Amino acid sequence: MISELSYGLALGVMIVVVLGTRIAGAVFMSWFTPSPGIERFLEGLAASVIAALVASFLVTNDVKLTAAVVCAILTMLATRNVVWAMLIGMLAAALHPHLVQL
Amino acid sequence: MARQLQPGPSPTSVLTARGVARGLRQLLPISLFVVPFGLAFGIAATEQGLGALQATVMSVLVFTAVAQFAALEFLTEPVAYVSLGLVVLALSARNIILGATLARWINPLPPGKRLLTLAFLTDANFSVAHSDLQRGETDLGPFLGGGIALWTAWVAGTALGAYGDLIGNAEAFGVSAAMPCFFAATVVGTLRSTSGLMVPVACAIAVSALTYPVLPTGWNIILAALVGGALSLLTNDK
Repeated sequence: MISELSYGLALGVMIVVVLGTRIAGAVFMSWFTPSPGIERFLEGLAASVIAALVASFLVTNDVKLTAAVVCAILTMLATRNVVWAMLIGMLAAALHPHLVQL
Repeated sequence: MARQLQPGPSPTSVLTARGVARGLRQLLPISLFVVPFGLAFGIAATEQGLGALQATVMSVLVFTAVAQFAALEFLTEPVAYVSLGLVVLALSARNIILGATLARWINPLPPGKRLLTLAFLTDANFSVAHSDLQRGETDLGPFLGGGIALWTAWVAGTALGAYGDLIGNAEAFGVSAAMPCFFAATVVGTLRSTSGLMVPVACAIAVSALTYPVLPTGWNIILAALVGGALSLLTNDK
């Protein structure tokens, strides 16, 4: 639970940062051409930050979440569909307590 | 990944209402798949303590699935604004590349239309519109229309999840797992489509997990992202 003020400030930070990234590429291009190195750095950054978030979740959470994430990864490998992977992962988390009791 | 970043000769671009309508129709099927994500975000946001209106307003104004999910982790008192900003920045950094790729078509537009078009920049409408633009299309309407279709679905899904009493006990639906599962699947998808990222991503995972106990909120993720970004500079996939 956060205060209205904190929510407003956080929302402001998000709006500025996200809109900034949407506009920045086109603006930069009117000044200079980004090198392939910068492109690779940004790609690596984007993939790494998501992977790091997942790792952070897994070290702070329980077996249930790990099982759900493993199911999501396997589903993604099998179907290449992010929506299915998320739904199957959620299903695994929802069913986990019932399966453990059996 | 061989996206054309060279500016080349600027084509004369336009932004037409007819093109916007075409983009809306074109991305409607993909947008339907965005609704469940919005739904999951709406539920996750209210579980985190946000009001239904707060969750919906965030989707209206920010319009970015991954960074919004990630931001929920930071929305507890006291808010770590710097970490929040940096994590959102790292998660949105791809937009810079997409925008740079579209620059030769978008920059010839008048400033107002340029801003409007770029505000709806996402992966999905980019990938659909970019291939058409490369084939000689000069209308950015389909790109903007596609973005509006995705935005509408994202906002509608969020509102449905945040306001919907039909959900009942969210935990019974495994909602807390939605975000990590979505992220994990995204990483798998990226690793399949982009070569040379396996080592950087593996190192990022290790850095994030190992430094979590010793760094302030969110900084383990920022450090891990920087390590992954730097390593992807060093890896050569040719």
